[in-house]
Amino acid sequence: MADPTTARAPRRSLGKTILQYKYFYLMVLPILVWYALFSYGPMYGVTLAFKTFNYGKGILGSPWTGLDNFKTLLTDPEFRTAFFNTLIISVMKLIVHFPMPIILAIVLYEFSRNKARRFFQTILTFPHFISWVVLAGIIMNILSKDGIYNQIAMLFGADPSSPLADERAFRPILYITHVWREIGWDSIIYLAALAGINPELFEAAEVDGASRFRRLLNIAWPGIKSTVSVLLILHVGQMLTQGASFEQIFNLYSSPVYSVADTIDTYIYRTSFTVGGDFGYMTAVGVVKSVISLVLLWAANTFAKRMGEQGLY
Amino acid sequence: MVKKITAVAAGLALSTALLAGCGGNDNNGNDQAASPAASGASQSQGASAAADNPYKDPMEISVAFWDADAEVAKIAKDPIAQEVLQKFNIKLKPVNTTWDDYAQKIQMWAASDQLPDIFAIDAIGTQYQRKWVDQGVVKALPDLAKYPNLAEYFEAPDIKGLNVDGKYYTVPRRMFPSVDWSALDRIVLYRWDLAQKAGITKEPETWDEFKAMLEAITKADPEGKHIAGLTTTQNKLIGGLFWLYGNPVATSDGSGSDFKWIEEDGKLVPAVFSKKALPALQNMRDMYDKGLIDPDIALAKGSDSYDKFVSGKAAALLSGGGFVNFNGDIYEKRWKTAYPDTDITQSVKVLKPLVGPDGERAHAIFKTYWSESYFSSKVDDKKMDRIMALYDYILSPEGKDLLIYGKEGVDYKVEGGKKVMIETASLNEKYPARAFLRQLVAYETSDSYDMNNPLIANESIRKEAVDYIDWVLKNTKVPDYDIRLTYMSTPTKDKFTVLDQDDLLKVMLSKDPVEQAWNDILKSYKAKGLDKMIEEVNAKAKQEGIQ
Repeated sequence: MADPTTARAPRRSLGKTILQYKYFYLMVLPILVWYALFSYGPMYGVTLAFKTFNYGKGILGSPWTGLDNFKTLLTDPEFRTAFFNTLIISVMKLIVHFPMPIILAIVLYEFSRNKARRFFQTILTFPHFISWVVLAGIIMNILSKDGIYNQIAMLFGADPSSPLADERAFRPILYITHVWREIGWDSIIYLAALAGINPELFEAAEVDGASRFRRLLNIAWPGIKSTVSVLLILHVGQMLTQGASFEQIFNLYSSPVYSVADTIDTYIYRTSFTVGGDFGYMTAVGVVKSVISLVLLWAANTFAKRMGEQGLY
Repeated sequence: MVKKITAVAAGLALSTALLAGCGGNDNNGNDQAASPAASGASQSQGASAAADNPYKDPMEISVAFWDADAEVAKIAKDPIAQEVLQKFNIKLKPVNTTWDDYAQKIQMWAASDQLPDIFAIDAIGTQYQRKWVDQGVVKALPDLAKYPNLAEYFEAPDIKGLNVDGKYYTVPRRMFPSVDWSALDRIVLYRWDLAQKAGITKEPETWDEFKAMLEAITKADPEGKHIAGLTTTQNKLIGGLFWLYGNPVATSDGSGSDFKWIEEDGKLVPAVFSKKALPALQNMRDMYDKGLIDPDIALAKGSDSYDKFVSGKAAALLSGGGFVNFNGDIYEKRWKTAYPDTDITQSVKVLKPLVGPDGERAHAIFKTYWSESYFSSKVDDKKMDRIMALYDYILSPEGKDLLIYGKEGVDYKVEGGKKVMIETASLNEKYPARAFLRQLVAYETSDSYDMNNPLIANESIRKEAVDYIDWVLKNTKVPDYDIRLTYMSTPTKDKFTVLDQDDLLKVMLSKDPVEQAWNDILKSYKAKGLDKMIEEVNAKAKQEGIQ
């Protein structure tokens, strides 16, 4: 007689499972439709990377050109600049920005009372809801000749300058403004993770005489480590898209800083619409970016798993 | 259970609504199509539907034009525009574009086969315009014999030169009768009132005098506003001023594809890359380093720059649109409210083309037109005929008079062969859509430089405008260049663009010496095939006998 504890539950057909959980499936349907329509459907356009676009024949009818677009890409100096700028800006933003919300969350959790925490959280989260178009206007005003930056500089006898048109200053401005916009929003998830730690652990540690730093290192950090790891993987995966944010750079840059600020996205936009480059070539540039993103995501996920954390898949 | 089903159904409905909202196609414009019928003209339409009327069938024509939504909406308030459209039984459907997005939108519509019937863009010479013609995106114009005014319009040499294998694919918007008039398209306005307060007594005529004036104003800062030197409404205009220091043929319209060629050391080269470039760049950098140029010039935006200039925060303004914009954007929109009791022409002057290092007075050189009308290949012959008829009428003497002076006997009368205005109120307010209809076909900017033409409403500015162009025509000379080289097609040249405004800004703001900064730029152009393009053009020019 089979042991009832080890007996397998009878396998049910997929149809029956769907029927049982029909409401969940119904709820997820719009999301699937969204992905099908806006993410998977348009993917046939990727074929353009291997074609030269013909207006009369459209995407499907345009003639195939094999790997020609990718060969051109390797010899294009502007693509090279855009490629390295994308990597530099993305990596630097990750390094500069990623720890900031964690530090902010810990500071708010540890040092603020509930009311103060809510106040600071609201103030710091607010910029996230302002679009880059508006924020860029504000930043330009701050850094313009009549702006507060130059007013202060002139008080100390400096000549007015335009940091947004200065190759040395432009990237740091990107990092700082990115932190300013996102620090509050990104800290919410860490604050939630911190709130999920059993307060008795902190109390017990306090009774045992653990210092604040010790409590942070041995209770708070392990409590949010898995969240940090998942978010790091997500950030790395989206690094090239969101790190080198098109909206931020496009709204702030100008030709004097192209050499340090032109990223793959802005390069595609400028070349497609200002110069009128071939859509096939521009698609090839986009495909290269997507492939790099995929590799980065895989690498980050593998690394996290090797470090003993849970990966995304 | 019922509750669950209701909740799920509501969720689905909401998602579907959101998806539907996202998936809308705005290419067809909104529903505010303007029709003469909408304003009570339907009765007369009935009358015009006589059997012999070639326009008896109503026709809806979609038009992509800058601010088309607002412009077409004005037709309902404009009896003249209604009369013109009614004559051809046309209803215009606006497809809005803006100055910021028109090129992008039109290229996207071309790629996705969603072009409106008529669309306005400055695309001559670009890679994509050549493809539109080769790949059947735009419709060729029919035989113009049936449209005498249009046929005459195409007799102008640089418009005639646009034919491709004997066919025309566009109606360019003519501005001027000759390139000498291009001086009007890049003017420098300066605050003469502030210059006088800073001790300047003579209006500048040379680069040194101009620089001395800017230096005096910025140093004296007469109104205590930390006044900047020269600014611009768009940074793509800057070549139109700085190349004038000894290299005027290098001026281009900012599209990247209209660069002109000169002969140097027995070889044809784009003027931008000639030996004359370096002194012009050095002069520009000197001005920047001395604080005579607004440090924010790289990020300059139209309305901000106008505000800056009028409010006394910039000593000079490089602007497009000549005296028409001087009247509209500076005087009408800003100056007359800010300084109601002053005569603007005593406070703001327009810089005459300066004497360059070679002793010549030079001005920017462009084409005689700017931007073009294109017609989607989906437009059938019947609709094309109607469009051509409308264009022909707007270019006819009758159409021109109606759209400039209004109605004879009501708005103006003819005395001794001259038109004398009767209407004292602004015609722009009385007939708010007439300018749009005119500009849909051609700008004919030169018509405004006439004391009898009320388009430049402020008479002092109009007088200055007329005097200015007379002076320019008498005192400046357009240097030699061959426009055929600009239009010439070679494999490398077709893909080559020269965005000189970007290069000028790079040199201006670079920390490196001018020569080094310029050499770096030259190196990047060489990597993109500059030498190969020069070889190809020289070979083809030789073949075609162009010297």
